[in-house]
Amino acid sequence: MDTVERMNNHYAGAGRGWPALKYAQLRHWFGNSEWSQVARHLLRNRGAVIGLVIIGTFVMASVFAPYLATHNPLETSLTTRLMSPGSEHWLGSDELGRDLYSRMLYGGRISLNIGIISVLIGVAIGVPIGAISGYYGGKLDIITQRFIDIMIAFPGILLAIVVVAVLGVGVQNVMIATGIASVPVYARLVRGSVLSVKEQSYVKAARAAGISDAAIIFRHVLPNCLAPIIVQSTFQIATAILWAAGLSFLGLGAQAPMPEWGRILSQGRGFMRTAAHLTTFPGMAILLMVLGFNLLGDGLRDALDPKSRGR
Amino acid sequence: MSEPATRKAERASAVSESNEAVLAVRNLKKYFPIKTGVLSRVTGYVRAVDDVSFGIYPGETFALVGESGCGKSTTGQVLLRLLLATAGSVHFRGEDVFAATGERMRRLRKQMQIVFQDPYSALNPRMTVGAAIREILQVHNIARGEEAFEKAQEVLVRCGLDAQHVGRYPHEFSGGQRQRVVIARALALEPSFIVADEPISALDVSIQSQIINLLEDLQDEFGLTYLFISHDLSVVKHIGDRVGVMYLGKLVEIGGKREFYHEPLHPYSQALLSAVPVSDPLIKKKRIILAGDVPSPANPPPGCSFHPRCPYAMNVCMALVPQLKPTESGRYAACHLVHPPDADAVREASNRDAHY
Repeated sequence: MDTVERMNNHYAGAGRGWPALKYAQLRHWFGNSEWSQVARHLLRNRGAVIGLVIIGTFVMASVFAPYLATHNPLETSLTTRLMSPGSEHWLGSDELGRDLYSRMLYGGRISLNIGIISVLIGVAIGVPIGAISGYYGGKLDIITQRFIDIMIAFPGILLAIVVVAVLGVGVQNVMIATGIASVPVYARLVRGSVLSVKEQSYVKAARAAGISDAAIIFRHVLPNCLAPIIVQSTFQIATAILWAAGLSFLGLGAQAPMPEWGRILSQGRGFMRTAAHLTTFPGMAILLMVLGFNLLGDGLRDALDPKSRGR
Repeated sequence: MSEPATRKAERASAVSESNEAVLAVRNLKKYFPIKTGVLSRVTGYVRAVDDVSFGIYPGETFALVGESGCGKSTTGQVLLRLLLATAGSVHFRGEDVFAATGERMRRLRKQMQIVFQDPYSALNPRMTVGAAIREILQVHNIARGEEAFEKAQEVLVRCGLDAQHVGRYPHEFSGGQRQRVVIARALALEPSFIVADEPISALDVSIQSQIINLLEDLQDEFGLTYLFISHDLSVVKHIGDRVGVMYLGKLVEIGGKREFYHEPLHPYSQALLSAVPVSDPLIKKKRIILAGDVPSPANPPPGCSFHPRCPYAMNVCMALVPQLKPTESGRYAACHLVHPPDADAVREASNRDAHY
């Protein structure tokens, strides 16, 4: 029995059929490179697929918001204030009569953007700092890490407020602020992983073979630190969305008419007893999005680990 | 068995003919600082390698033996400059390894390779073995693209693996196969000198002999010189040409294999050899049981570092550090029993002692 046949039998076992994709089929779609093995493994993971579906739904809803919205998200109507969910306003309306469903569609765009872009900023700055600090060690490491200590000493949200105070209010500056606030998290995390990976014999072997430091960091060290970075990023997207909501609540983020989830949530706070839908739906949306990213992150962590991936 | 034995003999005679050492290690020291407190003040040093000198000759297998923690692996890594030496020098074919930079260092790296003890951590889990071998071929401009791919297959096949294995990840191999991959990777650069750092101690006993035979075959085929680090004296007896015994960071004896196994000079070597198990249960052996533990290399005893455990320790051993010196037969030992110290040195040492 050859490998493909064996894997088919393994995966097609009774009760394990969902999602009923056969190994050979997946192999046919993705080939057999490292990343295709990751993709294949990810699609075999039930949790990861659910996470992907949730995130995919939110992404689609955000992209096609103009087509899916039933109302103008900014249009106020005093006659339809604080309506419960119904046929006119699917998810109800807020204290100014704006349609909650439409506002949330557009709000998803902003929240997703903030989450992803701020994480990209954090990774782009924090990972190189952590990698260099951990790989070279010595005085450079000590100095870098004391700066990181100072940044960690501030609560993330406070750090973000400082940055917004310097740059000015607005969604763009919130992304930069939450991104910078997550830099110390990545710098510390990556430094720790690099410290353990650089002691592995294969890094020594690479040095013995005369491979340059830059190539060792990018080809041998960082790929083996990927799993914690990815898992952290899922949490960080969620955190960024929450920070952004907090900043909006304080009036530093999304400005008044802009339909941002955190802002909708904090505005609805005053009507929690009379119009619970104003806090329930945005809260659930944030919860679902965070859940989706976490499920995906868990799946990716397994899929990225060649040992748990098997073959 | 007779055929490899003659090959060994031929090589041994070739060794004695050439006097030029491939690798000359002089007064090599590696101290690791012990740091304490928030300010990381250095409060002492672990003397992992303490003033070690030896030479390795072309085509031979120089075996470095000793118990764990005696500094044999550190020696191997320091002389490849994987760790920075505290003092001393290493010359490879006349070139100063510690002074080389840039292109010259890269050329040296190509000549000197290492095989690690644990094949499970010696391969990057995120790279196929083919990619790992191709990478180092490209770094040294030996081959690129399709050519590098074929070359990678070639060395894998030479090391007893299948050409198809280039596309596999390390976790898809068994321990013995991984060690073959590690050897293939070291071999890809066509080095002339390989440090084999306990290459078989992490492997199954049934696999060990295969790897040893592979190393021997490769040595014959490519004329390799080995520094073979091991704690297994029966393996060293099989593969080694000359043996160096380390104790607490110092070389205490160097000698040809035959003489060493027949009549070890240093009391520590004698104790080590008496501990080697013999396959015949009827042979009664006299075991020399050493009292106590290995002292800490951070705080080695004064004089001969072996004196607290030595059954023949004399007064002079506690005061005077024995130097590694040649005997009439061309062997080296660092022991006052072998080289009785002259009276002046003894007096000086005891005076220094009284001074404290």
